[in-house]
Amino acid sequence: MEIFWNTIAAYNAATWPVQIGFALLAFVLLVLLYFRPTPAVRVAMKCFMAALNFWIAGVYYMVYCEPREYHGMLALFWAVMGGIWVYDLLVKHASLERTGQHNGFAVLLLAMPLLYPFCSLALGRGFPAMTMPVMPCSVAVFTIGVMLAFSERVNIVLAMFLCHWALIGLSKVYFFGIPEDYLLACSTVPALYIFFREYVRTHADHPTKPSRRVLDALLLVLCLIVGIFFTCTLLHQFNLFASL
Amino acid sequence: MKTKQELKEILDFIARYATYQLGSGVHTSRAVRNSRRIGEALGVDVQLSSFQKSTVLTVLDPESGEALTRVAAIPALPISFERNSDLSALSWEALDEGLALDEIRRRYRTLVDKPRMDPIFTLAVVGLANASFCRLFGGDWTAVGIVFTATLVGYAVKQRMQAHGVNHFLLFAGSAFVASLCATAALRFDCTAEIALATSPLFLVPGVPLINGVIDIVEGHVLMGVSRLVNAMLLIVCIAAGLSVTLLMVKDSLL
Repeated sequence: MEIFWNTIAAYNAATWPVQIGFALLAFVLLVLLYFRPTPAVRVAMKCFMAALNFWIAGVYYMVYCEPREYHGMLALFWAVMGGIWVYDLLVKHASLERTGQHNGFAVLLLAMPLLYPFCSLALGRGFPAMTMPVMPCSVAVFTIGVMLAFSERVNIVLAMFLCHWALIGLSKVYFFGIPEDYLLACSTVPALYIFFREYVRTHADHPTKPSRRVLDALLLVLCLIVGIFFTCTLLHQFNLFASL
Repeated sequence: MKTKQELKEILDFIARYATYQLGSGVHTSRAVRNSRRIGEALGVDVQLSSFQKSTVLTVLDPESGEALTRVAAIPALPISFERNSDLSALSWEALDEGLALDEIRRRYRTLVDKPRMDPIFTLAVVGLANASFCRLFGGDWTAVGIVFTATLVGYAVKQRMQAHGVNHFLLFAGSAFVASLCATAALRFDCTAEIALATSPLFLVPGVPLINGVIDIVEGHVLMGVSRLVNAMLLIVCIAAGLSVTLLMVKDSLL
């Protein structure tokens, strides 16, 4: 636990200007993608996402999280996600066209990395031992927001990677007592449902089993189960069961 | 007595029927039995000899003594027990109801065109099945959850690689590596991490080729059985290679 926060503090103390730079660049690219989505802007956004993932892999995990156990595996995990963005760029899988759907939810997710520091402050932490916008979970939330707002064709592999990361984030709420990561878990459940539903709809021209309606219902049930599980975790985390 | 054209049409259909079954995960003797049954319904004798990639068929008209032979490639199809069962039932219908070739062809087309399982549904069910494996092998609930999402990632990678026509063996090694890499998340928590790691690539185990290989050998199709088993073993080696890379990175050893 102590190692965990020490590594975060070291990372934040050394990289806060770069993190501000990343946040500003993300803002500019999002505005451009929203109002002037030229091919160059789309390519720039994909490059930015790949760079962000490689930054987390190389700088966050390999340099500053070295004292943590198994930091290499987590670095590899993020490097693979960065590789998926590069692959996406090469094969032109996701168009990064504005979908115009789930606007409110997507904007909330895109802004959520900025909420992370405030959550940390509200929980009584102080700089540099606090969560910041360019850290794994906030980048994961941002990625989900980008995919929701700008991806007509969902990259299901990337969505699954993020789903897995959200589960790890949820486990961290339990094991390491980091409630900030609950933000990622909360946003993943509805986002996953939307991703799956969109994926099913884009393949609706091929009749499959079970039917689209049944599949929608099954996905909803699955996400509800996960959501209830997350809620129980939150209640447990804040010891609300004790007062009930 | 059949004309040469009729005999050729029967041969073409039975070749398509038999190779479809063999490609969908039927053991050899079942495909032979079903094909011969359809031949019997159409008044011809069918002889079939199958290899890993192709099938040799001969159709003989007992009245005229005329025979036609054809070599047909076995397509790589997704394994489907439902299709296999339907096509077996079709051969019985053909015999019991004395169906004509056109009617058999029509019913065959209807069966083959039936909708397939949705990939997202398959993804979720495979995830649940592999998570259940973890529980069956003694994994705790944290490990079960991690194996569930690790399987989702691994299987999604497998589906995408399949869609891009990646080599079969690379696909298995890659998926095993990704699934086990994701399962290493369990090492950071106080849970049954070894079980999570070991069960994460189990969804890749080629059960159908293994079972079919054994059945083929037992029923006398030794060549086909051995080739199926060799293929299955190679896939298992690929799974082991993918898992080994993760283990070597995480634990600096395989044990």
